Amino acid sequence: MSTNVTPGRFIGLVFLLLLPCYGLWYLLAPALVKPALGFAHLLMTHWMPGIVSAVQMDGTQALILTQFGELEGKLVSAQAVGHAIGLAVNTQILSYSIPFYSALMLATPGENKLARYANGIICLYVVLTLSLVCLCLKQLMTNLGHHYTDQGSLLQPSPNLIALLFQLSTLILPVLTPVVLWLWQSKDTPLLKGLLLPLTAKPDQP
Amino acid sequence: MLRFIGLFTGIFISLFTLEMLNPVQAHVIVPFTSWLAQISASLILPFDTGVIAYGKVIRDLASGFAVSIEAGCNGVEAAIVLIAAVVAFPATIRQRIAAIAIGFIAIQVMNIARIISLFYLGQWNTEIFTWTHLYLWPVLIMLDVLVIFVMYLRFLAARQGQAS
Repeated sequence: MSTNVTPGRFIGLVFLLLLPCYGLWYLLAPALVKPALGFAHLLMTHWMPGIVSAVQMDGTQALILTQFGELEGKLVSAQAVGHAIGLAVNTQILSYSIPFYSALMLATPGENKLARYANGIICLYVVLTLSLVCLCLKQLMTNLGHHYTDQGSLLQPSPNLIALLFQLSTLILPVLTPVVLWLWQSKDTPLLKGLLLPLTAKPDQP
Repeated sequence: MLRFIGLFTGIFISLFTLEMLNPVQAHVIVPFTSWLAQISASLILPFDTGVIAYGKVIRDLASGFAVSIEAGCNGVEAAIVLIAAVVAFPATIRQRIAAIAIGFIAIQVMNIARIISLFYLGQWNTEIFTWTHLYLWPVLIMLDVLVIFVMYLRFLAARQGQAS
């Protein structure tokens, strides 16, 4: 691929590459989200051991297994009733950031593409894991009610903060993170170097 | 570059938090979203008379299928991303205001296309509607923001070239 890609050609390439990237993501979605799910499981079970017993994969969804069961319409200990309430989270509303980021990076010419892509994917997974935790918190707060809020942990986010983080995690981060990562990693490529000059140029010497 | 990202993040989080406040939702976002629904319906009506809009909802009278335009579907978040990027990038006040105004219109044009396309996709196939709504259109709207921002940067670079 030529290293001199115009912005118009770049956007056209992104549109073209979105198709195969989305196709691959659709086929591999459960496997792609597994690393983030593993970290979310570790975080949630250590942070809230009294509420969450596991976060595991269930098809393309994450299933939060709680420490609560249900008896006659009331929440009781899962051990007492022999079953646990599971709350589902659609992981695809977060993981579609992967094909978007892949299309942006594939369409951008430059050196060390693979290394840059690998670094970006690691950053993307960090955001994906934290977003997944935010979705878990929202599910726990809305479904367990006072059983969640009464935990009284110092590090427990307030309902308003959870609502804000949930909106940020679902509406913004899946589409904004790939663009910010791409912008940062491609700032020295011929595509962006000229456009971002006001950010990189040193002030004139007096 | 780090200064730009820091400024962008700060402006973005401030505007996003402001947008989520109940008074802002009640007095700005919900009326704006209802207005978007009315515009979308008025664009559909010349071609399809069996459509009505009330509040944030557009409904097909024959099938009963309806879409409700909620937070995240009104293009406001995309506009906030553009505003934060334009304000954080060095330029004159006049250039920034023009970029935000033109960009906001371009985002809303794309967003109305999204609303209308989803309204018809939903009547045709629910699975494709869900997929397009949740996973494809958000990316297309963000690409729209990126295209507008890149065009703005090209305009600034051309102006800079003329000046030097």
